[in-house]
Amino acid sequence: MSSRRSRSRQSDVSRITDHQITDLISKLQQLIPELRGRRSDEVSASKVLQETCNYIRSLHREVDDLSDRLSQLLASTDTDSAQAAIIRSLLM
Amino acid sequence: MASLLSDLEPGPDTSPEFKRKKRRITNETPASFHRNQVNQRIKRWRTEREQQVYSSKLIEALRRSRRTSSSAAPNEVRETADRVLAVSAKGTTRWSTAILTSRLSSGAKMREHRKAKVIANTRLKKPKINREKRKLPVFERKLKVLGRLVPGCRKLSFSNILEETSDYIAALQMQVRVMTAITEFLADGVGGGSQPPADRLGSNVNP
Repeated sequence: MSSRRSRSRQSDVSRITDHQITDLISKLQQLIPELRGRRSDEVSASKVLQETCNYIRSLHREVDDLSDRLSQLLASTDTDSAQAAIIRSLLM
Repeated sequence: MASLLSDLEPGPDTSPEFKRKKRRITNETPASFHRNQVNQRIKRWRTEREQQVYSSKLIEALRRSRRTSSSAAPNEVRETADRVLAVSAKGTTRWSTAILTSRLSSGAKMREHRKAKVIANTRLKKPKINREKRKLPVFERKLKVLGRLVPGCRKLSFSNILEETSDYIAALQMQVRVMTAITEFLADGVGGGSQPPADRLGSNVNP
């Protein structure tokens, strides 16, 4: 079995190294506002995963709330002129 | 062997030998090349340009969907926002393709089918095996939860899930920023509070 492994591609993307794992986890940690400031050795990988799940859930909730508000607002505005105005203001 | 190298790197159209030499000189492995690509993709979600592209596409899509259905229901808005977000990802990530394909085929039906399969499998297995499964370490359990949250990532390897998650979070953050800006803009116009500055608008929203 070991001979088979040595014959495989030298730097296989799918072979996961420990360094790669810690690298990915610290990168994930930087994206989460709660954990951004802390040093990577202070926060356990398990906590990073937990906070990631919580963060994604809260982002989903926020998008849902925004969709609610947006649908209400869209129903009550004159859409074409409003949307032309939005596009113009957001792109300038 | 040569064709394998040409598959990995989207370099200029040169002979395979040149490519092999080039790889040795720059000393860039497929793994680090892949990582650089991922980093660049994630940074893209932060740019002003990407935000503008997404907001104009979203508004256009919302306008189109309003023409077909009379009311803009919240889940329609949510689905449109997600779909446009997935399109903006330009198809390199799994979560984006998962969102787009689940819209095309009846996504709910697929989930039901999968659930039925899982139930049938667990019934056939002996109880002994089930008890072992429950002892999964905390870490792997959390990873599974994460895989369920990010679309299309239920059965991915550890590093793949983390990659997809990073990109997905960056995209979601942009989605929230854009939708917040649009909502606030519309609320300003509809609420009829202070008059928006003249240079911001091309036409007056309030009649």
